[in-house]
Amino acid sequence: MRIPWSLSDLISPMLPSSPRALLMLLLGWLAAITAVPLRAADPPLVMGILPRFNATETTTRYAPMAEHLAERLGRPVTLVTSKDFDSFWRGIDEQRYDIVQYNQYQYIRSSKTYQVIAHNKEFGKSTLAGVLYVRKDSNITSVKQLRGRAVLFGGGEDAMIGYIAPMYMLLQAGLSKNDIKSRFAVNPLNSVIGVFHRQADAAGSGDNAVGQPALKNAINTDELAVLAESEQLLHLPWAVKRSMAAQARDAIQAALAELETSEAGRKVLKSAVLTGIGKAADKDYDAHRKMIRAVAGGSAVP
Amino acid sequence: MRLGLGAKFSVAVVTILALTMAANTLYFVHTSSRFHENQLVERGLALGRLISLVSPDAILGYDFLLLNDYTRQLGSQPDVVYGVIVSAKGDPISSYVDECHPDVRQHLQHNAASGILELLKQLESQAELTRMEFPIMHNDVLLGRFLVGLSKQSLQDQFRRQLTGQAIAWSAIVVFLSVAIHAVFRFNVMYPIQTLIAASKRVGRGEHTAVEVKSTDELGLLAQAFNAMAEEVRKEQDKLYRQANFDTLTGLPNRMMALDRIAQEIARSQRTLQRFALFFIDLDDFKSVNDSLGHAVGDELLVATAQRLRATLRDSDTVARLGGDEFLVLVSDVENDIRVEEIAERLIRAISEPQHLGGRKVVARCSIGIALFPDNGDSIASLMANADNAMYQAKAGGKGSAIFFTEEMNTRLHDRMQMEQDLNAAIESGQLSLNYQPILDAATQEHRGAEVLLRWNHPERGPVSPAVFVPLAEATGQIVRIGDWVLEQACRNWTQWSQRGIEPGFLAINISRVQFRKRFSKRLAELMTQHGVPPQALELEITESVLLDDHTHVAEELNSLRAAGVSLSLDDFGTGYSSLSYLKRFRFDVLKIDRAFVHGLPGDPEDVSLVKAILAMARGLDLHVVAEGVENQEQLAFLTAQGCELAQGYLLSRPLDEASYVRYLDQRQAGVQPLQLASARGRQRRLAASA
Repeated sequence: MRIPWSLSDLISPMLPSSPRALLMLLLGWLAAITAVPLRAADPPLVMGILPRFNATETTTRYAPMAEHLAERLGRPVTLVTSKDFDSFWRGIDEQRYDIVQYNQYQYIRSSKTYQVIAHNKEFGKSTLAGVLYVRKDSNITSVKQLRGRAVLFGGGEDAMIGYIAPMYMLLQAGLSKNDIKSRFAVNPLNSVIGVFHRQADAAGSGDNAVGQPALKNAINTDELAVLAESEQLLHLPWAVKRSMAAQARDAIQAALAELETSEAGRKVLKSAVLTGIGKAADKDYDAHRKMIRAVAGGSAVP
Repeated sequence: MRLGLGAKFSVAVVTILALTMAANTLYFVHTSSRFHENQLVERGLALGRLISLVSPDAILGYDFLLLNDYTRQLGSQPDVVYGVIVSAKGDPISSYVDECHPDVRQHLQHNAASGILELLKQLESQAELTRMEFPIMHNDVLLGRFLVGLSKQSLQDQFRRQLTGQAIAWSAIVVFLSVAIHAVFRFNVMYPIQTLIAASKRVGRGEHTAVEVKSTDELGLLAQAFNAMAEEVRKEQDKLYRQANFDTLTGLPNRMMALDRIAQEIARSQRTLQRFALFFIDLDDFKSVNDSLGHAVGDELLVATAQRLRATLRDSDTVARLGGDEFLVLVSDVENDIRVEEIAERLIRAISEPQHLGGRKVVARCSIGIALFPDNGDSIASLMANADNAMYQAKAGGKGSAIFFTEEMNTRLHDRMQMEQDLNAAIESGQLSLNYQPILDAATQEHRGAEVLLRWNHPERGPVSPAVFVPLAEATGQIVRIGDWVLEQACRNWTQWSQRGIEPGFLAINISRVQFRKRFSKRLAELMTQHGVPPQALELEITESVLLDDHTHVAEELNSLRAAGVSLSLDDFGTGYSSLSYLKRFRFDVLKIDRAFVHGLPGDPEDVSLVKAILAMARGLDLHVVAEGVENQEQLAFLTAQGCELAQGYLLSRPLDEASYVRYLDQRQAGVQPLQLASARGRQRRLAASA
């Protein structure tokens, strides 16, 4: 069974910055109260989910989330699945999604049109770090020793934890992309398994990989060692279109952030295989931007 | 332990069924094993092909979890012990191992830290595993291999369970079939056979009961054949019974049946305190009838006698033929001796009734000895012996009579037996001696020879007549030894006399028929050679009784004697049945006219006619004639007148002992006429003058 691998969308809390703003907020709140019957006629919100799973699995996990949001927001929320990453990315480009959950790199790339409002909490943690794993019996004790060796990254070049963070550490160690033989597994867990099975000398993955039951069931993690670990990075982001009304944006953020507080919300989280969703702001992803810029170049960061 | 046919058949059936089932089981084992193995291989192939088909994407994408999903799915497949995907270099990248498998568990217990490859190596030696390997290719590039090991254990367990179940089922089938076949066999085969066995035992006991034929199959045919056989056995037993108990010629009970009847009669009479009479009947001179008229006529006479005896008696009385011409009659419940006498007389009359046999009128006679129960014996042996003794006495007393047994007969019998014993010792003890009665030329009274006569001077009884002891010696066979002694003694004497210069003439020696059976001619030749006696010195007197025996043997002996030059004399001519036929059949030199014919000469016309006829015949046959019993001059004169050549008798000389005969010969040789002969010659002259 595949292990869910996501970063919660981080939505920055929108705190009132002035009395006028507070007034506006109150007016808005009153308008919202009085406008509830009218909002029921608002067009549905489209929720897009990064197609890490097939459409059925995606629907199974996130349909409760969409229903919950619709109930909280008082307007329909339509869950839209994508057949593949390209079509999903086109949806991002075309801003077809009002609410979207994707990875950190994707958010950074789309941050001009989308604004992060929340992040995933997985296994009780809001962050995770990129890690380079090696076999203990490989005699590799420093990142520099990876020169000329095969590194199996967990995901493609847009994988924040599986590629960008590990590559960033390689770069930091003075190696370039050409100094290693890059290999790409479908996800960070497989990269670790691949190293375990000696399919590569090092694996680019997350720090939470070895704690995953799926990994423990697959390999003997005691034979692995952490060669290098990046700084902690916030989990997968939830973002809304920047064009969305602040009221709606905030309502969504609140609805997501309050999932942990209600029984119904915990059911939604459980369905989505998450332990919680925390609020996040764009600045929370600056560390990500730094790494992306170093690895993918400045063009990758708008 | 004896196994019956049913048991043998059942054992055979069980064995055959068991072997068949065993062969079937072996075939099942073989085919099922192959089927299951093929099934296993097919499953392995299917798995391998599937994994090989789906794995390239995962391998290329380093999706080991997916590969794990694939291999983990192997766990849901039965019999898969391991499934390992190895890289092109041989490194395992995904694997599934059934840790519950005993070999795997054992390996893991002892090698917990070892890898999957060590486990595979360990499992290579397990024969119960079917190992297969499949390449994982992508665009003709080897990405890896899929190794799968399938256990035959569960299949073997399943197969074992099937086999056990099948064995139990087959055993039940074998038992059922065996019982069924045994039951069918018992009812359809054993029962008829046992019926036949029981019937056979009944037949063995002499009970003849046919078995019921219930079918037309082989057993039915067997039953029919058995019935036919039993019928044949019954007939054969009847035949054997009749042969064993009845006389085939006359149909009368034979000796065995007669003895049985006597035994029954003794038992019955002992219970009822009644008397019964046992008649021993022997036809007189039956042998003469056989010889003269032939055996067929003799048989006719026996049959006729049987019929007459049977017709004379009550149905309750027993008439049996003991053998030869001997019959036995058992008459039960006789009141008194008079009644027995009447019965005996009736029997004699019945037998002596003239009858026509073989175209001739025959009058048979019989002698009957009678023994009474319990007067003359209370056992079969005593009654038979006494009746036989009485019959012997009747025959000795003149034939044609019936005599009751008396104890005196036993006394005589004992005398006879004593005489037999005494006769045995007579030769050694010198009790026997030879007398010589001269035979003279009837016309000139010249000495020609002498008839050798045997004498027995018993130390207690005194002289015993040859008429008494010679028949006894013949009956006991002692005559052979005695006759041989006579021959040797005569030869010795003749030689001694000759050596003394005496001319003894010939010696006429009587030869018994019993002697004649014992290669007589050879023995005589030995004696003649031994004592140097020329053949012309001997004349053998043979009675007609000798000629009654085997004609071929007698003819050969006579021819041998004649060839040796010994004269043969037919003694007592005219007293027998077939004297003339013997003259035709055998060649003789001398014919001796019996004294019975001489006795009436010359007064009895019949004797005159007979003697004349005999003499005429002798002349015609060129035979010398000796007249016996010449006792007076008239007889001598008549015989001389009729041309009788030689004479012998008291007129001419009584029998002389050896010493007297030697003197007689000396006197004859000295020209002295013995007194008796001289006076006789005077009488002869007177007769001739008167004639």
